[in-house]
Amino acid sequence: MGGKYVIMIGIAFITFREVLEAALVVTLVLAASKGTPRRGRWVAGGVACGIAGASIVAALAAEISALLEGVGQEVFNACVLFIAVAMLSWHNIWMGRHGKEMAAEAARLGSQVLSGGRPLYALSIAVGIAVLREGSELVLFLDGLVAAGNGADLGPGMLLGLVCGIALGGVIYFGLLRIPTRHLFRVTGWMILLLAAGMAAQGAAFLTQADYLPALGNRLWDTSAILSENSIPGQILHVLVGYVAQPSGIQLVFYAATILVVGILMRIFGNAGPTVSRAATAALLFWAGAATLHPARADFQVRSPTVEYQEIEFEHNGDTTFDRRNSGMSNDQSYTFSIGYGVTPWWKTELEAETAAPPGENLKFDATTWENTFQITETGEYWADLGFFFEYSHAHQHGDPESVTFGPLVQKEIGSTLHTFNFLLDKDMGSGASDGTGLELAWQSLWRINQYASPGIEYYGEIDDLGHPGKLSQQQHRVGPVVVGAVAFPPNGKIKYEVGYLFGLTNATERGAVRWKFEYEAHF
Amino acid sequence: MRNWLGILAIGAALLGGGSVARADDPVFNLTIQNHKFSPEVLEVPAGVKIKLLVKNLDATPEEFESNELHREKVVPAGQEVPIFIGPLEAGTYPFFGDFNPKTAQGKIVAK
Repeated sequence: MGGKYVIMIGIAFITFREVLEAALVVTLVLAASKGTPRRGRWVAGGVACGIAGASIVAALAAEISALLEGVGQEVFNACVLFIAVAMLSWHNIWMGRHGKEMAAEAARLGSQVLSGGRPLYALSIAVGIAVLREGSELVLFLDGLVAAGNGADLGPGMLLGLVCGIALGGVIYFGLLRIPTRHLFRVTGWMILLLAAGMAAQGAAFLTQADYLPALGNRLWDTSAILSENSIPGQILHVLVGYVAQPSGIQLVFYAATILVVGILMRIFGNAGPTVSRAATAALLFWAGAATLHPARADFQVRSPTVEYQEIEFEHNGDTTFDRRNSGMSNDQSYTFSIGYGVTPWWKTELEAETAAPPGENLKFDATTWENTFQITETGEYWADLGFFFEYSHAHQHGDPESVTFGPLVQKEIGSTLHTFNFLLDKDMGSGASDGTGLELAWQSLWRINQYASPGIEYYGEIDDLGHPGKLSQQQHRVGPVVVGAVAFPPNGKIKYEVGYLFGLTNATERGAVRWKFEYEAHF
Repeated sequence: MRNWLGILAIGAALLGGGSVARADDPVFNLTIQNHKFSPEVLEVPAGVKIKLLVKNLDATPEEFESNELHREKVVPAGQEVPIFIGPLEAGTYPFFGDFNPKTAQGKIVAK
């Protein structure tokens, strides 16, 4: 008698866990779409389709598993998860475009009912997928129990688990509803972004299991002692923010990449930036005229003259500035993404997409750039290593000129320190081009004490026109600390990072800036 | 503009001229065979620039990599590539083959 009771509680708990995971997604979607008419119908439809789908998937489990040489199950799960990620991301990007309109309309109408138009089908599909995944896992598990002869005990345990799972989902839903509408969209937008990132990481884990992706380190850390994924709070965090107690490297990459890519797409397609007052606009124009002759700002990165043959790299560089409000120099943001490849042992070529949000403006796709690094001397053979850099940048914003940048890259190792210096000239071409030749200087000195994190100092300088360099105070000069490191996953490549803070040294330079670089490189 | 060109020219001269004549660098040989380095322990003099000639006898490429020596360089199949290291302080500097890390392991001991 006691044994049967224990089995029932076990069944209830497993059912509760699976139901909770699906219920959390439903809760989040319902809260995020509050006020939109007929959303209940779409969500219910998603749930119903999910349940039907779960039964079909469970029935075909053996066949699916046998597909693709035995990893059909994992690939199916990964595909379904990535579809859910796409649906949730699409919804978030759509909300970025229209969210402010909707919130304003709600405030104006003084009611909770908002016009439709948001892609409810996307949310419905995401809900359906969540229910399908959890449902099929549950059905398979329960089938196994029936086959083992415990069929009689399924009913009460399942019912208990179902009720508890839905109840907890409901509690969280009403908790979310207490957030005022004007903040609700933003809060649920972030939560959906994290939900999508967690699903992307889960998909990556399935593909690793199927051997389609490298793990990049099986257990980067282990926090199961602090919070086990099997505990209830751990389970909730797992669904809501993608918490994993023992993440692999590739899971982190997918998680971070989803947040970065979707977050930035949300900003690019997002509506109305902060309103700019007339005084601020005037200040902006003054500084634009005085401080820069061409719209594109130099990247904050120090380039190495070393080329790694047959190495593919994915790189992201970003920076954002801080200054007094209304100076026209605050919140100047730049984010670039590039793919590069070492074609020969002395030539690396890269294609880069540059996005930027000048102060007071929205994020825009600025330019596509083709960059080339040539390694001229063998590393360590001479007093210093020499390389040459050349890039051509095609502007996308109407009226912005094309530009080329070129110059020497020098690097020298002294004991455990590494010093790198870039001396680059840049020239505008085509319509909107300014006449002068600009100079971009970059310097980094690193104290290589630890491969995972080493401290250093950097300097960046910009003179817009060498022919008319003007006073020092009109040029841009910055200096500051930086931390550089790498984590390797042989033979699956490595992740490199740099994070630094730059103090502005002249009047024409912003007070401070944060800059970062993240890179994944591997042999290909 | 002329001043900048002058500075560049001096810089280039410094880079070329400031080194020890290449013929003087001691040369050491390292072989890659069956995804293993040979020798696995290489003794070199400390305080002197060293030229390592790494020859890959395997049919697949290998990457000579060492965090302590701050070098990573692909050695294509059947080819020999030079890798300059040092001057090194006395000590042990492990290296490995990035594409076959389990078997390709070795260390350089500078004395």
